[in-house]
Amino acid sequence: MTGRKLTWPLAFVLFGALIVSLFPVFWIVMTAIKPPTDWNASPAIWIPSHPTLINFKTLFDPDSIRAYGVGGVSQAATNSVFGSLLASVVGTALSVAIGLFAAIGISRYANGGKATPLIILSGRMFPPAAIAVPFVIIYSNVGLIDTYRGLIAIYVAGTLPFSTWMLKSFVDDLPREIEEAAMIDGRSRLMAHVFVTIPLIRGGLLATTLFVFILNWSEFMFALVLSYSNVTTIPVQLARYVTATAGTLYGVQAALAVLAMIPLVLAGLLIQSHLARGMTFGAVKR
Amino acid sequence: MNELSELRVASEVSDLAREDAQGVTAPRSSLPSNRLGQLLMLPGQIVSLLVLVVPLVVAFYMSFTDWTPTHGSLLEATLVGLDNYKELLIYDTRFVEAVVRTLLISAVCLALEFVFGLSLAVLFLREFRGKAILFSAFLTPMMILPVVVGYTFWMLFQSNGPINQLLMLAFGSGAGLQWFRSAPLAVSAVIITEVWHWTPLFFLILLSGLNAIPENPVRAAVILGATPRQVFWRIVLPMLKPVIIVAFVIRAMEIVKLFDEVFMLTRGGPGTSTETISLYIYKLAFADFQLAYGAAAAFLVLLGTLVLIHLLLAPIRNQLLEARR
Repeated sequence: MTGRKLTWPLAFVLFGALIVSLFPVFWIVMTAIKPPTDWNASPAIWIPSHPTLINFKTLFDPDSIRAYGVGGVSQAATNSVFGSLLASVVGTALSVAIGLFAAIGISRYANGGKATPLIILSGRMFPPAAIAVPFVIIYSNVGLIDTYRGLIAIYVAGTLPFSTWMLKSFVDDLPREIEEAAMIDGRSRLMAHVFVTIPLIRGGLLATTLFVFILNWSEFMFALVLSYSNVTTIPVQLARYVTATAGTLYGVQAALAVLAMIPLVLAGLLIQSHLARGMTFGAVKR
Repeated sequence: MNELSELRVASEVSDLAREDAQGVTAPRSSLPSNRLGQLLMLPGQIVSLLVLVVPLVVAFYMSFTDWTPTHGSLLEATLVGLDNYKELLIYDTRFVEAVVRTLLISAVCLALEFVFGLSLAVLFLREFRGKAILFSAFLTPMMILPVVVGYTFWMLFQSNGPINQLLMLAFGSGAGLQWFRSAPLAVSAVIITEVWHWTPLFFLILLSGLNAIPENPVRAAVILGATPRQVFWRIVLPMLKPVIIVAFVIRAMEIVKLFDEVFMLTRGGPGTSTETISLYIYKLAFADFQLAYGAAAAFLVLLGTLVLIHLLLAPIRNQLLEARR
């Protein structure tokens, strides 16, 4: 299978695919460092001759772009960055904690049978738009609309299938005999899990945490429909920038997009070897 | 050889492969059932029921009313029987079109993602320098959030954007296209965006599958005189089948929910020509505030999803639960 050398025509194909795969990233980064005069130039400018960080500064201090003769950035993105961090970090922590319990439960105990893991998994398949309609009604009746508590609850529920199944696959990899040995040494079942199972899957725990963080940070639709004025996240803010200005503030929008993407690409590269496992709920392990 | 048993590729393929797989997962004694097991699963069960059952019940009740946000409490709304469903299924061509469109876009995207992902994965079986870096580079698209992907491609497809620039460079100054003004072009833009975003997932899953294929049957076939093409079609591809199914199921689950990218790219336009199921329900409920009608649509979609879940999970259910046995 492996071992054959790459021939020149194939290398050329690979190079072409590489360009296609990285060009959009190149474009958004270049747009983010364009000064206002280059934003909407026709023909488009590929690499700005005077790169600047003004777009990033404008995100947190909307008035600073006025020096370039551009008005119309009405909102700072500060709240949305704060909102994204709060909702994603807390949502991820809770999701991974509940997922860890469930993962150990599913992997080590017969309670719940085969139904529980599949019920948890099916939560991922419901289209958010369909769930959002009843949720908005419920939330407006119980006062959770436009609150971070409400958004975080959705994030926990939405990523639970991934945290449960990904962690389950790591627990499954661990021989049960290790815990049994600890129990023979006098630890209770619970203590065996706390002191043996969990430390032994800490790498998997970290990978799952980052993976769930990626999912929560990317979430758009629920943040869009459940938030009005208090709650915003970066994706919602980006959508607002695009509508509010009829899409002409390219540089500032791109700067926010780049800001949103940096932590995800870093986290993604860190857990690269676990991505397949995460995306397939543990069905593919490497 | 561990991956082999995990992927369960061995069974129908060849005796050599079966030999390799033997003894890797010895059958485990049955799992205990006790209060700790129950307690551990309880929070997850509660959360799942809240997310699955409550929306279903509320959407179901609402769908028989004419409730809108100005009506006050949901319980005071007038019951209208099956009116919403009649309207949806018989008169609302926009809903039916959105369903068909979503399925068509999904089918085209999955086919393209599979072909590109598999080709790329096969290229990665060759030896070359910088493989690790290229691997990361090819995975990058799937790490980017959908909203940003949608926004980025919206920029790329602008009439004075780089894609038109390249088209004009290649085919003359008249070759620039108004991507968001014609239905077929807008649908193509959505498909191109989706395929760019998610081909890496197929690449990733298929490459791990290819790497897990044992050397022995391949070597045996080569010794017996098989050409590389025969080896690929007759041995590699059949052994890859379970992994291919996993990739398709996982992607199908996600793409039928398609929303973020389309929202940023076209908002469903021009007209309703790129409207997906999710986008239509979103517009119904949160732009036109027809929440009861939206709930009926949501309930139908939830029911449809339940059926789809059942069909999609059937081929990989055992693969997912395998480790428990």
